[in-house]
Amino acid sequence: MSKYVRSLLFGLIAMSFVLTACGTTATATQAPATTSVMPADTAAPAMPAATTAPAAMADWSKATSLADGGGMDALVAAAQKEGNLTVITLPRNWCDYGDMMDNFSKKYNIKIQDVNPDGGSADEVQAIKDNQQNKGPQAPDVIDVGPAYGPLASGQNPSGPNLLAPYKVATWDTIKGSKDDTGLYYIDYSGVLAFEVNTTVVKDVPKTWSDLMKPEYKGQIALPGDPRASNEAAQTVYAAAVNNGGTLDNIQPGLDFFKKLNAEGNLLPLIADSGPIAKGETPVSIHWNYLALADQQTLNGNPSIQVVYPTGTAWGGYYYQAISAFAPHPAAARLWEEYLYSDEGQNTLIKGFCTPARMADMLSRNVVPDAAKAALPPADMLASATIPNPSQLTTARAAVKAQWDSVVGLDIKSGQ
Amino acid sequence: MKEKKYNLWAIFWATLALLYFFVPLYGTFDFSLRMEKGRLSFLAYQSVLSDPNFLASFRYSAIMGIITVIISVLIFLPTIYWMYLRLPQARPIVEIITILPFIIPVIVYVFGLIRTFSGPPFQLTVTPFKTDILITAGYVMVSMPYMYRAIDIGMRSIDVRTLTEAAQSLGSNWIQILANVIVPNLRIAILSGALICFATVIGELILGDFLVRPALGPYMVEAGRDQAYQPAAMAMLAWGLTWICLGLLQYFSRGRASAQQLTGR
Amino acid sequence: MAEIVAKINPTKAVNRSEALAPLWNWVGVLPFFIFIFVFLILPSTNLFVGAFQDRNGNFTLANVSVILDPYVLKSYSISLQISVITSVLGGVMGFFVAYAITIGKAPAWMRTILMSFSGLAANFGGVPLAFAFIATLGHTGFLTAILRNICFPAAGGSQTCPFDIYQAGFNLYSVTGLTLAYLYFQFPLMVLTITPALVGLKREWQEASENLGGSSAQYWWNVALPILWPSILGSAILLFASAFGAYATAQALTGGSIYLVTILIGQQIRGDVLNNPNEGYALALGMVVIMAVCIVGYSILQRRTVRWLKS
Repeated sequence: MSKYVRSLLFGLIAMSFVLTACGTTATATQAPATTSVMPADTAAPAMPAATTAPAAMADWSKATSLADGGGMDALVAAAQKEGNLTVITLPRNWCDYGDMMDNFSKKYNIKIQDVNPDGGSADEVQAIKDNQQNKGPQAPDVIDVGPAYGPLASGQNPSGPNLLAPYKVATWDTIKGSKDDTGLYYIDYSGVLAFEVNTTVVKDVPKTWSDLMKPEYKGQIALPGDPRASNEAAQTVYAAAVNNGGTLDNIQPGLDFFKKLNAEGNLLPLIADSGPIAKGETPVSIHWNYLALADQQTLNGNPSIQVVYPTGTAWGGYYYQAISAFAPHPAAARLWEEYLYSDEGQNTLIKGFCTPARMADMLSRNVVPDAAKAALPPADMLASATIPNPSQLTTARAAVKAQWDSVVGLDIKSGQ
Repeated sequence: MKEKKYNLWAIFWATLALLYFFVPLYGTFDFSLRMEKGRLSFLAYQSVLSDPNFLASFRYSAIMGIITVIISVLIFLPTIYWMYLRLPQARPIVEIITILPFIIPVIVYVFGLIRTFSGPPFQLTVTPFKTDILITAGYVMVSMPYMYRAIDIGMRSIDVRTLTEAAQSLGSNWIQILANVIVPNLRIAILSGALICFATVIGELILGDFLVRPALGPYMVEAGRDQAYQPAAMAMLAWGLTWICLGLLQYFSRGRASAQQLTGR
Repeated sequence: MAEIVAKINPTKAVNRSEALAPLWNWVGVLPFFIFIFVFLILPSTNLFVGAFQDRNGNFTLANVSVILDPYVLKSYSISLQISVITSVLGGVMGFFVAYAITIGKAPAWMRTILMSFSGLAANFGGVPLAFAFIATLGHTGFLTAILRNICFPAAGGSQTCPFDIYQAGFNLYSVTGLTLAYLYFQFPLMVLTITPALVGLKREWQEASENLGGSSAQYWWNVALPILWPSILGSAILLFASAFGAYATAQALTGGSIYLVTILIGQQIRGDVLNNPNEGYALALGMVVIMAVCIVGYSILQRRTVRWLKS
């Protein structure tokens, strides 16, 4: 072999050794954490053990409640035997899911993999679909999806195959809000839209939707996404509609509002992520209140953020929890749901500034810490918040898809 | 014959390129220093490096990068060589195939990988090692356009037919020709392909994400999600480390000066 | 005579033993095709088949016919325009930079840095790249601030600061800004792929041209460029495909206001609002067809430029 090829191979092997040596110290100090970067080594030993535990696993994958499977203790035992849980698209800062996962992991000694923490509901449904035969750590056990995706994943609307397993948690009756009768999907938390204002840059904080039109906010207002791709952004357009003369059945005024905002030069096409917000590039943006409050907490004054609930009609939004019908860890999945809907789980959601589904029940039994209660928006605002039903959402969505390009679309020929 | 020491036209373009590369990076760097309100500090970097998973993920991605480069070269080099010698008619088909990874959305591809290989008879997703095989194949595919084009252009620039005939007339077999004649002449081309291939694997996000492997991309997204300053610091660190690795790659593939004389420059 | 014919048309069989060659030739590329079939075609069948199916798996042409909608055609057109603009600009710039680090003899330290950094930059994209440009040229970017603060004393005791780029009409969140961001990964890609070709230009050719009295410009126009042309075309097609398939950078920088096909596909396949993945597959299939047509055109063009070159 030529000298050159030999030296190249030597160099590559040497680099591999150096990198391996560098890494051994790191792996030695790695704590068994619930981060997604830990390879699910325990998934492998679980496979040969399957021959001794098929009875327990099969039971729980068909269980529709605690009673079906033999009670909480049996569930915990079965889940611990599975040893793993795969969740999907749960950012750590979203409703404090980070703490939720860490606490669950510590309490029951179950490792959690979080696949695709930065994705959308469509990814979650597609992941269930394509992982049907997969018993590895890539297949999601539980999902947390937007309002359109509960009916979609269950095949109810639009019609299609059912990907979910029905299950009613022990506290089912105290869950207030939208939930499927057979337990295929159920509301977990809700919030309202608010303005997230960088008060280091913006001194005069906007208080209403029409304030946004003021010339002093030129080039300062941004949406949380593309309304054709991001649920949060689409809801923003809808909220603007309702606050500018539209109704739940008519989103047109919202589209007109943003068209005018864009024509005035107030609207930036940029997506308002935490980077641009912190930089000051998008000082005024519209987000779910829990995300804005979490941002405020993380940034900790650098820059200082103020969360403003715009006067007018408050706009509410919620998400669904569901268990995959093909979950490789069915007992762990059900234990997760039980935990999430327990007082401890619901209080974790409150810590993340989300309003949990069992809020009313928890308030009536006085189990919410006062400090946490104070951080949430006033109860009457949440109660009166407008929430569209699925068919209204569908119509609105079609309008956004058809018209958004004419609202903000840039034409190359315009020389922009 | 006039022999200027330095060519002004060349220096102009080199300087422009350097500016274009580093000025936007300075923007990110400047932002990453501002985690503490009112003063510049490396707080964001401390926060990033305090998590051992960062370096562990980088190590994993770097090793995968090296493996991907080796496998890519092993597959594409003989194929392109053969195509040049014996099978020019295959070029359009191969070109279309090698450009496909740019056009097929990676998210569709990764779901396809999972669907095809997670069930029986393959079951490549149940153990970490088998999933590594799957993800390596994915990485080879994702970097295929770059590697193919680099080797293709390199192969075009040397006189493959003459070299092969000369080596054959001296009694070499195919392996010897490839290893001793073709590869040294393609040093720059293979290096170019290897550089982008390695950087592609390090920066790759979706494959590592959905196949649940501890790669750098998914780690950075998860650790930086909803943070403002740490992603900038992580990006700078990741780029810096990657650049060092690329520099090492370049250094190890210098070869001897005489290797260049075969092509005359 | 037979040898001369064989050299000019190496693939035409000149005697009977070579007539068997064509079939045997395909065996050499078999490993490649098997690898591709198993790891690229098989996983991607969902795309090719799903384009013609509806949500429940029944055959339908509805998704494919979406391509004929005016706004979809417009998005293909915008994608093509951006791809052509950035690949031409990136190609030209990359060519000169590659020249600088090979033949042009730029200082060695510049060459090393540029070559290795090109590998890194060719793969930049998405949110980090968009953010780098926002932090530099955005409303609050550091370069914008520096330029804005270059002030000169003006008449009447006040100051004039003529370098406010946003006052002058520049806007990062536009096609201009997107082009600047795309160039960041386009020109390094050109640098990396065309460097081997530039290195392959024999010095003797330039010396011979000068000996015959030709100027540098004549050398480039009559000798070097025709030789390099097939490689330049190859790199250009790579740049074009790279821009055509890019998605994350445009999404992060302009939030979907520049309506590329890839953004449309992303909305259908990954979005939270519209969810018709089959429509996304159909649009992606359209992109594959366009790319295939471009490659066929490029192959024809290449064969004509290569005709007189050996091999």
